Amino acid sequence: MAIVLLSMWNTLTVYRSYCRISRVAIMGDPATDDIFDSSLSLEDDHLKEGYNEGFEDGKILGKQEGKDVGLKLGFETGEELGFYWGCVNVWNAATRINPDVFSSRVCKNMKQMEELLDKYPILEPEDEHIDEIMASLRLKFRIIASSLSVHIEYNGYPKSSEGNTIGF
Amino acid sequence: MENEGTVGLDCNFELKEVQKLEGHTDRVWGLAWNPVTGLAGVPSVLASCSGDKTVRIWQQAAATGSWECKAVLDETHTRTVRSCAWSPSGKMLATASFDATTAIWENVGDDFECVATLEGHENEVKSVCWNSSGSLLATCGRDKSVWIWEVQPGHEFECVSVLQGHTQDVKMVLWHPSIDLLVSVSYDNTIKIWAEDGESDDWHCVQTLGDSFSGHSSTVWAVSFNSTGDKMVTCSDDLTLKIWDTSLDLTASGSDSSGLWRHLCTLSGYHDRTIFSVHWSRDGVIASGAGDDTIRLFKEIPSDVHLQVNGPSYNMICKKEKVHSMDVNSVQWHPKVPTILASASDDGYIKIWELKAIS
Repeated sequence: MAIVLLSMWNTLTVYRSYCRISRVAIMGDPATDDIFDSSLSLEDDHLKEGYNEGFEDGKILGKQEGKDVGLKLGFETGEELGFYWGCVNVWNAATRINPDVFSSRVCKNMKQMEELLDKYPILEPEDEHIDEIMASLRLKFRIIASSLSVHIEYNGYPKSSEGNTIGF
Repeated sequence: MENEGTVGLDCNFELKEVQKLEGHTDRVWGLAWNPVTGLAGVPSVLASCSGDKTVRIWQQAAATGSWECKAVLDETHTRTVRSCAWSPSGKMLATASFDATTAIWENVGDDFECVATLEGHENEVKSVCWNSSGSLLATCGRDKSVWIWEVQPGHEFECVSVLQGHTQDVKMVLWHPSIDLLVSVSYDNTIKIWAEDGESDDWHCVQTLGDSFSGHSSTVWAVSFNSTGDKMVTCSDDLTLKIWDTSLDLTASGSDSSGLWRHLCTLSGYHDRTIFSVHWSRDGVIASGAGDDTIRLFKEIPSDVHLQVNGPSYNMICKKEKVHSMDVNSVQWHPKVPTILASASDDGYIKIWELKAIS
């Protein structure tokens, strides 16, 4: 009788240890005694597992998307700035050949445009003045182009056309 | 200072229709009398611009006194022509269009030739105006900006400055009759006054007439100075006309805040639709054209009649309903004969009127 009880006790102990080990393996928390804990927290466990997987995948995708957007915007900005630099350089070259080719007012505008281009923080895309400087550049360019009576336009990348709006 | 519709009516004047000018095939937006015509044997000349993309020049025949279309300025603008203005010399006509350009035309014999095209606005140009000496031209548009151009020999126009400050579509620009001060009115409900800092090409906004100055509460459509330039009237979608004291030369005052223009009077209760156009005659009569197809005329009550403790007040001296079958877009007094008025409408017609006292 005592041997039967003892072997039963051993089996139970072994079984409980097994459950404790399994629980520890899954949850890492040996303090709780309930062997059914792991099945009660099943939903929660899977939620956490899914979240972690998504987080890791998201990090990779996000980084890739950031790179793609950065490349696209960087290219567009670079191309636009390059276009303005090209114009300014040609105008400066023309002025070197003939200092009177442009009126003093137009020369002043060209100089201001060159200063804006110098000021543009290419390496700081988070700079708060970046949009302001680009808007000023675009306006200066339009002013100079109209004063020279030349029909030049920076077309940039094709954007979706503005709908036909009615004006009054 | 409110003038209620029922008080101070002094309607002993009437507008008699002289002629209806037909020809445009779409709504007529603007009118401009040639400033050097209509006197000393020179027949009156009127320009009109339209949604049909053309500008028509009308002349009064010396013999019969009737109006004929002398020229059609076409094949230049690719969209609605929204505004037109003669230079002070009467030799050039500027036309502002929804195609984002402003064209400059010169009278060559019986014809008009486009001698320059001003580009710069990003989209629809709404108004164009020459300053009193004819040395500067101002344009404004839906891109919220006002451009100032310098007139140079050989039909060259150079952009002096681009004025940014309005937060919405700018409807009209107007130069002061004697000082180089520019007024702009906008869909943002404000009126802005711009002046140059010395001779530096540096134009900036010296005053904004908005809420804090008893300004309009909706889109301001038009502005007009009286003949001496010491008062101006504005009209708005808020159904009122406002009179302003503009006697101070804001170019001289610098940053002195006591040197500002101020509100004198609001005429409300007369119109029940948007007032699109207003014009002050040499004789001091204010004409207004509105969305209710009506023209109303106002005149200041002489100062010996009322004690002007609260500033001047105005009477409506005439109301003419159904002058057109649709919205009245523009009213313009003749520059030399102060009883002649022209009106233009969405209905495509222009009408010439004569102001007469009711006997």
